[in-house]
Amino acid sequence: MSPMSTPTVIETADRTAAEGSPSRPTGGPVGLLAAQVGAELRQMVRVPEYLVGIVGVPVILYAMFGLSNAGQRLPGGTDVGAMLVASFSAYAVVSLAIFTFGVDVAAERGRGWLRRLRCTPMPMWAYFAAKIAAALLLTVLIYVLVWALAIGAAGVPFEVGPAVRTLGALLVGTVAFAPMGFGLAFLARPKAAAAIGNLLFLPLSFVSGFFTSLSSLPQILRDVAPYLPTYHFGLLVWGGVAPAGDVQRFNGIDPGPAAPQLVWLAATFLLFGALAAWGYARDARRERE
Amino acid sequence: MEYIQARGLRKTYGTTRAVDGIDLSVPAGQVVAILGPNGAGKTTLIEMMLGMRRPDSGEVRLFGERPDARTVKARVGAMLQDTDVPQALTVTEVVALVRRYYPRGLDVADVLRRADLTAKAGTRANQLSGGQRQRLSFAMAIVGDPDLLFLDEPTAALDIEARRAFWEQVRGYADRGVTVLFASHHMAEVEALADRVVVVHRGRVVADDTPGQVAASVVTRRIELVTDATQLRLEGLPGTVAVRRIGDAAGPVAGAAGRVAGAAGRVAGAAGRFEMDSTSPEEAIRELFGSGARVDRLVVADADMETAFLHLIGEGEVA
Repeated sequence: MSPMSTPTVIETADRTAAEGSPSRPTGGPVGLLAAQVGAELRQMVRVPEYLVGIVGVPVILYAMFGLSNAGQRLPGGTDVGAMLVASFSAYAVVSLAIFTFGVDVAAERGRGWLRRLRCTPMPMWAYFAAKIAAALLLTVLIYVLVWALAIGAAGVPFEVGPAVRTLGALLVGTVAFAPMGFGLAFLARPKAAAAIGNLLFLPLSFVSGFFTSLSSLPQILRDVAPYLPTYHFGLLVWGGVAPAGDVQRFNGIDPGPAAPQLVWLAATFLLFGALAAWGYARDARRERE
Repeated sequence: MEYIQARGLRKTYGTTRAVDGIDLSVPAGQVVAILGPNGAGKTTLIEMMLGMRRPDSGEVRLFGERPDARTVKARVGAMLQDTDVPQALTVTEVVALVRRYYPRGLDVADVLRRADLTAKAGTRANQLSGGQRQRLSFAMAIVGDPDLLFLDEPTAALDIEARRAFWEQVRGYADRGVTVLFASHHMAEVEALADRVVVVHRGRVVADDTPGQVAASVVTRRIELVTDATQLRLEGLPGTVAVRRIGDAAGPVAGAAGRVAGAAGRVAGAAGRFEMDSTSPEEAIRELFGSGARVDRLVVADADMETAFLHLIGEGEVA
């Protein structure tokens, strides 16, 4: 190992950056957020198994189950292939929430990264906002990739209006479910987070109809489904793709108006947000004990 | 101005009292070593000063403010134990990211050079060795151009060469007015770096002075001698605190480096080389000569930091 370089006087030109608030990060909040998002994306891109798990699986699922059903038309004219694009994209959103926000943050917490961050003047909102922003970008990426496969491999007709509405619903869901993941990260022990994440993720996805039509589920699961936020998220997403009649035909459920579904997602955000905030405060307090 | 003011700090974990009523004031520009054995309370003390751990009682002020104030954090750099970094980011990316958190910052390339990480700039954090991680931690501590630097066992994973270079870096920071507080149990590190040493044992401050004064405060003196007297005889001399046999009469002197002087004589019989810690060396030597023992080499010196430390923590009894 070579020795460290010998000390010299440190230039003070950079101190001009300190103008303004004495605790304001370099580049301001926007610069800080951009740097934090960049770091998040780099980490995601550099762990191939992560990318395959988060981005690849919805595409693979679509290749396995979506392409074979593409071309079938619902009564209102919607291609089943387009409905399944929405289904697997919604599945990806819940996966992002639980694994990106939940398991990843739990791991960083376990390794002491959050503890180190608390020693710096960085406001912690930037850390969480960057996670959400990175997840929003991944949501767009996943949606584009699944659509690309649907169009390229099965010729599923692409309509801009429904596609944009669906993307909007997916982005709303990404934000709404983020606190669920953060709650998992701070309420579960770091080593248990992945197991708990899987326990949550698969039932939520199944019972909400992301993998199979709700009408094909056992009655007891169909009875439980309306009490799950992911069920309402699914309805919102499918409602972006197709008229109500086609959604009902596809899934056996009348989606109804979007407003109650948005209320469900807002309530999910607030409820789990409060839980996550409590978990975070508890974690910070325990760390200081 | 006092950069650190800690008053009456106490912290207990279960039945273990980690910090037991510590008061400490550190003025700007001072380099302070917190010296103590493992479990002495050094890390807890530093974490309380950083606002990372809540004292059971007492209070800490950095720059006159609460340590968890953002304006305070913006002026403080910390090198902590048991924290990791995002594993998939490169060294440069981690340091550049942390720089963003601070209102002012140093040039990242310059920081990497100071931390001897230039060659590892493009290496991901998960591919670094223990020593390299420690230097990355140092880079993260200094990139915000702090006025006050906390280093908790900063050289634990460094080899001797890197450790010395690290000391030079820290000394360079101190020379330009950065206040440094570091925890260590390396005596040489403390002697090389610190303006002041605070010896902590069982959660209490047992000494607080310059390294020289701490060593001098210990009433024992080091006697190195070659003699045919037995260890038992030496232990019976007045004022003897500890006796250590460090070799036979013919072998190389193995005492404190360079301090043994005089002709390399040979002593007949069961002669040996000894180090003694004594509170009254003159009396001990007088009695030794008076007993007829042959003494062929004799050096009396002040206690060094290690002796002082062992004495202060109560482990300097007769060996």
